[in-house]
Amino acid sequence: MAEVQKTRKDKELGLTGFILKPMLLTLKQTIKSTIHRPQTVQYPWEKIVLPDVFRGRPGLIFDKCIGCGICMRICPTRCIDLVTVDDLKKEEGKPAEKVKRPRVNVGRCMMCGYCAEYCPTNAMIVTPEYELASWTREDIIYDPYKLQFPGVPGNEVHIIEVLPSEVKKEGVVPRPNTENKDLPILEEKKCISCSRCAKDCPTEAIVMKEFGVNEKGRPIKRPVIDKEKCVSCETCVEVCPKDALTMSEVL
Amino acid sequence: MTEMWINMGPQHPMTHGLWNLRIKVDGETITDSEPVIGYLHRGWEKEVENRTYPQIIPMSDRLCYGSSFTWSHVYCMAVEDLMGLEVPEKAKWIRAMSDELQRIGNHLMWLAAIGPDLGNLTIFLYAIREREMFLDLFQALCGARMTYNYCRIGGVRNDAPPNWERDVLRTLDYFEKRINEYEDLVDRNAVFRMRMEGLAYLSGKDAVNLGVTGPSLRGSGVKFDVRENDPYEVYDEIDWHMCTRDEGDVYARYRVRIDEMRMSVQIVRDILKKMPKSGPIRVKTPRNAPVGTGIGRMEDPRGESFMYVIGDGSDKPYRLKVRSPFFVTLSAAPHMLKGYKVADVPSIMGMLDVCMGETDR
Repeated sequence: MAEVQKTRKDKELGLTGFILKPMLLTLKQTIKSTIHRPQTVQYPWEKIVLPDVFRGRPGLIFDKCIGCGICMRICPTRCIDLVTVDDLKKEEGKPAEKVKRPRVNVGRCMMCGYCAEYCPTNAMIVTPEYELASWTREDIIYDPYKLQFPGVPGNEVHIIEVLPSEVKKEGVVPRPNTENKDLPILEEKKCISCSRCAKDCPTEAIVMKEFGVNEKGRPIKRPVIDKEKCVSCETCVEVCPKDALTMSEVL
Repeated sequence: MTEMWINMGPQHPMTHGLWNLRIKVDGETITDSEPVIGYLHRGWEKEVENRTYPQIIPMSDRLCYGSSFTWSHVYCMAVEDLMGLEVPEKAKWIRAMSDELQRIGNHLMWLAAIGPDLGNLTIFLYAIREREMFLDLFQALCGARMTYNYCRIGGVRNDAPPNWERDVLRTLDYFEKRINEYEDLVDRNAVFRMRMEGLAYLSGKDAVNLGVTGPSLRGSGVKFDVRENDPYEVYDEIDWHMCTRDEGDVYARYRVRIDEMRMSVQIVRDILKKMPKSGPIRVKTPRNAPVGTGIGRMEDPRGESFMYVIGDGSDKPYRLKVRSPFFVTLSAAPHMLKGYKVADVPSIMGMLDVCMGETDR
């Protein structure tokens, strides 16, 4: 049996402390809460004002998106996939161009905001929309057209960072992560000149250049990467059939 | 008298989450008890082995509904230890400040939970009302109310918004007055005091032997707080002291938590004074971690939380072990419950701040 200590009660609380004071206090609180304004909000009619940074469902600015798939790769719940859709801009008389854009299963989305944070062109944004209930499961899979959201400046999420090697240096200016790019590097021996990286690159940063001919007389092509255009999306690393490309980290 | 086993839970107003407390009673007196968990098991530790390092941060937020920031913080500390990353100075201050705001929010959630347990609905409404202000602060800071996803490996997500300091100080000034109101409502309420005093006595020696940490340990008079004994981030530069009580009963644990809320207010004020005004807040996260191990430990609102991560050179952890403070405290429950009445169980267990999300994982 554990020890029981009952010392304080006898010292501090007499009859008045036990009954009268609590009753007075409760009465005081009752009067206070009767006259002050209500703490509640009548929800469907009134709503709380949300800040711009509020993370509701992800939104898409269609024209800014380049279809690189970074959002698809970073999503922790894997609720984003890329679909091929008609572009919004089209010239008269011609069929619209096919482009890749993200589709989000909002029913599985956990509103972490990673897609908006890692987007290199700020096409993905966080929106203040949180009332997402629908009657069917198909309705909460948002295709790229439905995902569009105009957005205000606060809706974009930026990564402002420094490199790990610069932390202790004085006078380092934090900068967006698009300036500290990781670039794909090629392992020459493994490359088979198939050009799949150049075909799949969303920004056309990879160009195949010919470096002579092999013993069978066919051209040897090697990808050359434009550092300015690359967004380090890893699409080329993923499609490479021989694992010849890897990401080199800038640290 | 014949003895019998009674199941309290998994669906019971006392439990705060899905778990089962089996108690063996002799009449009204508890002679033995056994906590049974596993109703909320999600396979968290296994699931994170299929995620890359940044993807685990929003998942670690979901370990506990009350204190999600501290869990993502301890995860980030463990991975920074593994990767050998240095955190910028300003990010450390922001992290410490968010920790303390989160501690206040979590203690208010606990206060709101024990109120109805002991038959006082008013304190539930008051505590939830004040917690709303701290949720609003976090909403302005990072855009979410409960699952913040704010801590990053090597810093924090974004800088504080404009007018942040003014908003925080205003909230803290208002909140300090409200703590006095809670003390009037609870401390000077006879029924509350009768249900709390002299219950679940745990001596300091027993508490240490059972591995109890946090406010429950400090309520037993043991001076241990990771913030002071193994300072992480910037806690060695902040002006604060540890809150302890010597009685070792339920009321002492209650007092320690209320005192900690006041202390957190003081810490946040001190941080806002000393925090650097500019500077980097985030370093670039490497894609792959080296082969090796990393640990992170910190003072959660419930006790000492700990994470141990093994990296295998890829972008996913090989293993991630979580030491949940409440899991250990729950294991000490049979010792605390023995000899008391069945009606005391909600008071004793509620005062430990139950969170099943982090316990079952």
